[in-house]
Amino acid sequence: MISLRADRRDVVAGARAMVPWLAGLIPFGLVIGVSAAQADIPALAGWLTGPLIYAGSSQAATIGMLDAGAAPMVVVASALIINIRLIFYSATMARYWRDTPWWWRLVAAYLIVDPSCAVGLNGYRRLSRRRAHAHYFGGAVLLWVCWLAAIGVGATVGAGLPAWLHLEFVMPLYLVGQTIPKLAHPAQRRAIFAAAAVALLALSAPLQLGIALAIAVGVTAGLTGHPDKPTQSPHPLQRTVEVRR
Amino acid sequence: MNTLIVIVAVGLGSYLFRLSMIILTDRITMPPYLERASGLVVPAAFAALAAAGIAAACSGLGVPRAAAPLAAVVAAVIAVLRTGSSQAAILVGMPVLWIATALLPS
Repeated sequence: MISLRADRRDVVAGARAMVPWLAGLIPFGLVIGVSAAQADIPALAGWLTGPLIYAGSSQAATIGMLDAGAAPMVVVASALIINIRLIFYSATMARYWRDTPWWWRLVAAYLIVDPSCAVGLNGYRRLSRRRAHAHYFGGAVLLWVCWLAAIGVGATVGAGLPAWLHLEFVMPLYLVGQTIPKLAHPAQRRAIFAAAAVALLALSAPLQLGIALAIAVGVTAGLTGHPDKPTQSPHPLQRTVEVRR
Repeated sequence: MNTLIVIVAVGLGSYLFRLSMIILTDRITMPPYLERASGLVVPAAFAALAAAGIAAACSGLGVPRAAAPLAAVVAAVIAVLRTGSSQAAILVGMPVLWIATALLPS
């Protein structure tokens, strides 16, 4: 049962849970907008990568390769390889949406991306299924609106931002910030270290295959060993450990 | 026109990726290990993207200049560990990057 009107509070709570992510993502959206404006492609096409592709790394790669004059098939293949992780996210969310109506699955699936998946999972682990749907929707829609707005702003005014701001580095720092608290969980720790190591070793892999390979190796490393519990420690990390169902 | 077709193709493919397992799990039951694996995808993906992003920021800068993004990452990690807040990574890391970039010789 989906009832966004009845669960308005959860929609707002989901949107609120997304706000901290926006601090990292809005600058990234601005950067993509700037790169779209500076690339040798129509401005509208650059902005359309937002609603059509809706995945930052893949959008950046698509714009960059189109600007560099890469062959269309190479651009499509590369961008889709970067987005292979979306299949994993789809598998992650699928179990929560099994008994939902089709219209919900079609809309909710479109909104799947790294932060909406993370915020959504947090809701599904804490709330009843119906309330968690509203929580996911609130966060995912806010992210979508802000992402498209950031790209639009970046494409129109972002070209004037000074280069010394190094906005392109906001995203790696943001990902570091999201990753560090997960180190408290042994399986996730194994996944993180393995994925980071493989990503570095495979930097020169063609078509950005290194990222997909790193995710696969990281997940495999996380699966090795015993199913584990969060570490017992008074460390600040302890506060952010997600309790597994 | 070609550009738009490429973007539409990538968008359509990405949407099918998003929808794929949601459709398939109606017909198949996910084994337990896959359920466990799905909880590891986000940390693995974020770690891989972070490592690749940091390496990309350092590449081609030369030894002294590459120290700036690395210093920013170290500061970000310490800030997150000390505060327990993910947002501290950006709030501390970016100013460290600006200062280190300004101080280091080109």
